[in-house]
Amino acid sequence: MIESLESGARLLLGIGAVFFTGLGPLALVSPSRGARPRGELLALSFGLGALFITLWMLALTALERPFTLVGATLPPVLGSAAALGVSLWGRRGPASAPPRQAEALAGLDWLGLGLLGLILLFACLRAVIYPVWAWDALATWGFKAKVFFHRQSIDLAGFEAHNYYPNLVPLLLTYLYLWLGQVNDHLVKAVFPLWGALLLLLLHHLGLRMGLSRRQALFLTAFFAANGTVFIEHLFIAYADLPLAYYTLGGAGLVFLWLAGAAPPGSMPLAALMLAGMSWCKYEGPPLAGTILLAGFLTLLRLRPPGLLRRLGALAGLAGGIALGLWPWRLFLAGRGIQVGIDHVFAFYPSQLWQALPMVLATLLNPKDFGILWPVWVIALAVGGRSLWHSPRLFLILFVGGNLAAILLAYALAPTSAAEFPLYVRATIDRLLLHLTPVAALLAAQVLNPLNSPPDPAG
Amino acid sequence: MADGRPTHPDGAAGSPRPPSPWRRRLAWALAGLWAAQLLLVAWNFAPEVDDLARRLLGGRVGQAVRDEDPFHRWLASLTRLIPPQATYLFLDTYETGKEMEARYHLFPRRHVLLPPPCPPGYLFHAILREKPAYLILRDQGKPLGPGLEAALAAGLVRIVPLPGPGRVFRVQAEIPQAGFYD
Repeated sequence: MIESLESGARLLLGIGAVFFTGLGPLALVSPSRGARPRGELLALSFGLGALFITLWMLALTALERPFTLVGATLPPVLGSAAALGVSLWGRRGPASAPPRQAEALAGLDWLGLGLLGLILLFACLRAVIYPVWAWDALATWGFKAKVFFHRQSIDLAGFEAHNYYPNLVPLLLTYLYLWLGQVNDHLVKAVFPLWGALLLLLLHHLGLRMGLSRRQALFLTAFFAANGTVFIEHLFIAYADLPLAYYTLGGAGLVFLWLAGAAPPGSMPLAALMLAGMSWCKYEGPPLAGTILLAGFLTLLRLRPPGLLRRLGALAGLAGGIALGLWPWRLFLAGRGIQVGIDHVFAFYPSQLWQALPMVLATLLNPKDFGILWPVWVIALAVGGRSLWHSPRLFLILFVGGNLAAILLAYALAPTSAAEFPLYVRATIDRLLLHLTPVAALLAAQVLNPLNSPPDPAG
Repeated sequence: MADGRPTHPDGAAGSPRPPSPWRRRLAWALAGLWAAQLLLVAWNFAPEVDDLARRLLGGRVGQAVRDEDPFHRWLASLTRLIPPQATYLFLDTYETGKEMEARYHLFPRRHVLLPPPCPPGYLFHAILREKPAYLILRDQGKPLGPGLEAALAAGLVRIVPLPGPGRVFRVQAEIPQAGFYD
């Protein structure tokens, strides 16, 4: 019992250090005090902390220094403390107004909160009571974390496959093992429901910034969390897809707010860090991050706002975030002569495209997978009508719609046998769609919000 | 919007129009459908909630969950048998998902996967190249296959009596260095 309490306390300390590590960079890119409410700071700081701690652990291996608790934790924490100090020193002026006044919780709010609480309680217990058992957790993410902890470095000897996969998630688990002092692959899984809760918090705050009332934003969050089983399952199976969905929501949500003129100052550097998280999180991350840039460029070119060139330049700066998440790892691999997986872009199998299309549609429509989220997204497009194409919401449509098309195209390029192909699609489609679903939910809430109709495009 | 106050994301000034009745009705209809699918979600996770509650009440959590699985208990006995620095050949198909479970639990022992109906030349070559200390057949209900039968007949491996769902073979320390032909 005492041992369990001690392990729990160690885990909480380790997670606390992740939050603290993220606060410094967050303060540096947020010039005014009070520009972000506490919930938003909480939701964003964990993702940034995880990014910087794991990149630091990559640097430790590159410098041939073994992983230790002090070595992995102290420099990022001290760096964050210094960043906080610099940022606070530079802010002598009055705090800017908080984005929203506090409102009292009423009946329906408690219903939404209760539903979210039930889901997170179930997911948390499901995560920490059962050890790692799901396929990719055993084969890749959890296995790498165990190997890195025992070998005290990113030692890829003995990995025949997936050795080139990015390591944000395995290294974060390794870092928590360092805090625990052992491999405890059930307790460490608490980080996944936590990450899911932070994704929901981020979605809630993005909803508020998009103009939803607190109740509407709460309903959006509950609507997303309790729509089908895929999101809930990812809260406890220890896959990297939930963190990727979190970074994708952060990146796409912040860019959308910036395009709409509703983002607080410092949102673009923050969006760049979210794109870095996407790129360092999963192999699919960099192309997914690239589509945020592409959708942003196309939206700006379509809307032609004042200062178009300056805005295009600011958007192009996000590529720096992708480079931050991608190139340290690529250079590390190149230095060790490890080949990165080859994308079979020159092998196009049209039959696979037609075979994958009904399977993808079936997953989009199956209430067991995503509830009614995707049909609602389509209804939102229909309801939004032409006005969507003349507003910054075009960005969300291009990002989600473009990625749905890209998923189909990727299946047409997959080098699998005819017998394996249906199994391959079935095993991967739900998690590929999960990366997009929070962003799709944002657009649906925006358009279908019954109490806040969109402005008349004519005037 | 420099201060981060929410505006309409289209950047339009002015208050929003009042909601149209059909938009309100659509929103309520979708909310109803969503509430209905909640039942499906609850139905899907009900068995897991039941198992979770039983485990919490019985205190069978964490490592105890693993120990209920005969395959894991067998792997635990293999960790006592195979030295940490040794290599083992694991004969199984990747699709069963069991070999990666073995790799995860038997780490830091070096893991080499081979398909179970392995021809003699292929198996003998793998033994020469990888120099394993043990050979593990995951499913003892399956036939040994020509490779393993030939290795047993040649005295290259011998059976280790370890109860469990699979079979364990000790690879002889003195491996002949000659080539093999099918």
